[in-house]
Amino acid sequence: MIGMCRSLYKHRELVGILVAKQLKLRYRGSGLGFLWTLLNPLLQMVVYTLVFSVYFRLDMEKYPVFLFAGLLPWIWFASSLQQGVTCILDGAGLVTRSQFPAEVLPVVTLTTNTLNFLLTLPLVFVFLLAFRVKLGPALLALPLLIALEYLLALGPVLILAALNVRFRDLQHIILHLLTVLQFLTPIFYPLSLIPEPLRAWAVVNPLTILFSAFQDVLYFNRLPSWPPLLGLLVGSCVVLSIATAMFTRYKPTFAEAL
Amino acid sequence: MAAVVLEAVSKRFQKVVLRTGYTTLKTSLTHLFTGDSRPTEYVEALREVSLTVPRGTTLGIIGRNGSGKSTLVRIIAGIYRPTAGRVVTEGRVSALIELGAGFHPEFSGRENIYINGIILGLSRKEIRRRFDEIVGFAGLEEFIDSPVRTYSSGMYMRLGFSVAVHVDPDILLVDEVLAVGDEAFVRKCLEKMADFRRQGKTLVLAGHDLLLVERWCDAAILLEAGRVTAQGFPPDVVAAYRGSLAAEEASAG
Repeated sequence: MIGMCRSLYKHRELVGILVAKQLKLRYRGSGLGFLWTLLNPLLQMVVYTLVFSVYFRLDMEKYPVFLFAGLLPWIWFASSLQQGVTCILDGAGLVTRSQFPAEVLPVVTLTTNTLNFLLTLPLVFVFLLAFRVKLGPALLALPLLIALEYLLALGPVLILAALNVRFRDLQHIILHLLTVLQFLTPIFYPLSLIPEPLRAWAVVNPLTILFSAFQDVLYFNRLPSWPPLLGLLVGSCVVLSIATAMFTRYKPTFAEAL
Repeated sequence: MAAVVLEAVSKRFQKVVLRTGYTTLKTSLTHLFTGDSRPTEYVEALREVSLTVPRGTTLGIIGRNGSGKSTLVRIIAGIYRPTAGRVVTEGRVSALIELGAGFHPEFSGRENIYINGIILGLSRKEIRRRFDEIVGFAGLEEFIDSPVRTYSSGMYMRLGFSVAVHVDPDILLVDEVLAVGDEAFVRKCLEKMADFRRQGKTLVLAGHDLLLVERWCDAAILLEAGRVTAQGFPPDVVAAYRGSLAAEEASAG
């Protein structure tokens, strides 16, 4: 892990350039360009609000704000995994260059998606203001939650990227897994809606802990409960150290498998 | 002083057969359960290759298609890791291997120059200083802001070569690619490589241009089925290669 950190630090300029390019590349050739960053979640929000709030009559005040609080971190997480799983394959041209530090690619993917998430954040605040949700000091916890999500996602992204070079089924499996996660994690509905015996299981899901905390901060205007988040932090670090070990082990075989 | 040392380097690849295909979770699971443990087939691309390239000299690698030339170049470049043996290189290695390696197709020529320069250890400032020279040498002023996926193979090669020689390498590896350049550009490349030799840099050339190997290289090796079957004075090695080709033709005819 230390070796990987050192390599990433050494190649920070490369990470920076690649992130900037990825951001530009995402909307290159599209007429609306950057506006898509805002339009994508907005359109999703409209659909989900229609389905869950109007059709299903989910009884929640200011539902769009609640939805956004969980949906935006979810989009960040899901698209990071989705792009992360193929990032080594997509960067084949670079990986077959001598001395290319492959660990740069998963980090670039996650960082690009993080920036995209940060760019959509103002949208939340517009909605918070429009719906007159009270803002308080709880908001100060937001940066911590963002850092935690980055840490939480980095491990899985590294593992998926490394394994998918040989087991390309993963890129298909992950799509289904993400769909399952999207509905089993309280994003569209509050945790309290899950019937009691099942709720204990839902709480085991690390994403539930994280997204509930986002909802606490952005919707309920209260500080999240810290012990589960601390557990999440420890768990993420354990996964991350396993992930870096795995990535380092598989890295030398990437070039010949592409 | 040696710039490149290889000690008994072997490289084995898993043979990829499309029908049984990639190892997928499914196949490895079904094999696990059905006890189907057909041994994986391997290709021995290099067998115990040992060689030393003294600093400031030029080595030519010749051999038929599939004899292991490209694998050897990639091993020296650090792109592949040897299955067995040891590789030591001294200084900055710049490799010009197959067309397009090292380029991101969606990025422009300009962006790719920056990315490649940084990977090879230059700072942004150093790249900016050399940028015009790189583009000028490649003769790509007009297309430098187009994505490289729109480049022809000749343009790819020009950009690749230009970047590879302008990053101040101590060791330059060139694998065949020169064949796609037009005569004028190839001459320019040769002049550049001659400069390199005068500056005391180390060159490794792999390919089928026997004349180039005879005239240019200080030493040559002949690879046959992954083994070094002749090495030393280039004209001798080229003669050995021609001999082996002729022998095969005679036995086939």
